[in-house]
Amino acid sequence: MKKWLPAFLLVGAFVGSLYAGATQIDNFWTALLNPGSNEILWQIRFPRVTAAVIVGAALAVAGLLAQGACNNAVAEPTILGTAAGASFGAVLAISAGLVQVGTIGAIACGTIGALLTTSLTFKLAAIRGALSSFGLILVGIAVSAIFTALVGIASAMVSRADARSISFWSLGSLALITSDNLIGVAITTVIGIVIAWKIAPALDRLSLGDATAFHLGVNVARIRLIALVALSILAGGAVSTVGSIAFIGLAAPHIARFIYGPAHRNLVANSAVIGALIVVVADTVSRTIAQPNELPIGLAAALLGAPVLIALVTFKNNVWRTQ
Amino acid sequence: MITIDEITIVVDGREIIYDYSEQIPAGSITVIVGPNGCGKSTLLAAIAGDIAPGKGTITIDEHHPILASANALAGIRSMVVQNQRFTLGFTVRQIIEMAGDSAQVMKALELTDLADRLVTTLSGGEAQRVAIAQAIAQNTPVLLLDEPLAAQDVHSRGRIITLLREMAELGKTIVVVAHSNETELSWADKVIKQFH
Repeated sequence: MKKWLPAFLLVGAFVGSLYAGATQIDNFWTALLNPGSNEILWQIRFPRVTAAVIVGAALAVAGLLAQGACNNAVAEPTILGTAAGASFGAVLAISAGLVQVGTIGAIACGTIGALLTTSLTFKLAAIRGALSSFGLILVGIAVSAIFTALVGIASAMVSRADARSISFWSLGSLALITSDNLIGVAITTVIGIVIAWKIAPALDRLSLGDATAFHLGVNVARIRLIALVALSILAGGAVSTVGSIAFIGLAAPHIARFIYGPAHRNLVANSAVIGALIVVVADTVSRTIAQPNELPIGLAAALLGAPVLIALVTFKNNVWRTQ
Repeated sequence: MITIDEITIVVDGREIIYDYSEQIPAGSITVIVGPNGCGKSTLLAAIAGDIAPGKGTITIDEHHPILASANALAGIRSMVVQNQRFTLGFTVRQIIEMAGDSAQVMKALELTDLADRLVTTLSGGEAQRVAIAQAIAQNTPVLLLDEPLAAQDVHSRGRIITLLREMAELGKTIVVVAHSNETELSWADKVIKQFH
């Protein structure tokens, strides 16, 4: 039962999210069983909730890869600068009129931005010798702050509505998602998850430290590079489509570890399900709690994710020993 | 057989090992002893392929550790690092099975009762025995151990030495860096005290 609980909850949250909203859907169950029969349900809510599932899964697995590759409990796309880099890459290309939000082009630019900033974080953290966890996080926060500021400047300089606002890029929103936007982010998410699943046994060994992982046959630099690329693809796809949503990459893998243990093969699928669940619930809350207004999803995700962080440092656990 | 041929290793500008040659025969236990900072662990790390000598060569049979891929090297030598840290809550069994079969080695090192314990809850000595078990489970011709007896009680120490002796008699090449307090070395076939 424990094994399948998050998946059952996700199915329930998915249906509940389709039901909830400013407009009441008449004969909901009949409309649900007849695809295309109700415009609000099938043209607006279904793409939106499906996007929440995909983005939640992507950000959760991105967090898992960040934590596994850095062997660091607090690594995640927003802390390593990956999410800010993805936002910057996408907003720069959108501002220049080269691509539109949610398209493959925007995703490619977001992924390149994510890859460059994450590489920059790793390079700067290792500039004085061995890569330390503490240095990595400090540098990541600084890089993230710089690129978040640049995103703010770039989005403020562009008056076009399709470039989106600073609120969109820093707190995320699923409000403008259409069915067409789902394809690109679905592709990047599947690619990233497959890569994560393939390198999962190496990430298990990496948790023993670089030296022991190498003694067990892991090419540490290569695995870290693959993880970095996969993390950038996942975050690039998600962030360039719905903006940056914090806490998912941090909270979802840790919740999965509490339930399923630390083996990365198990964690890839389970983190994805839990991340999807958090984003679906957060999105439902964000568009129903202050009707007719809509909150940025990042606020609701933080309200759901932050207590998990507090629980992690408050309750004694043996899932991840940091000292 | 491990052949060390006129190696020099410089770390942080300091010459740790200078123009040192040695032959370590197969099917034996060689113990490296010496005061702290004399380069015992550096020599072991060089044999393991972790660091490259600035000059000279090291070969394990026909293989050059520094040139071999990580995967190929994992089939030639296994290594126990000093003070292995476990950050994730894997069980003892899961940690050992990252390298190979667990049942036999857990029995030999009296870890069977701890098989389902999380490694994050183990004492220093228990964690060290798990690291040793993992390296043995890797089942390589060469086994390198950096201070494997440092945190062990008398009983566990005896168990580990007996197991290493049995492995040497089966043809394994075993190199142990011993803590400077380790004075009783009758279980070693060869003791290296100087490598300058």
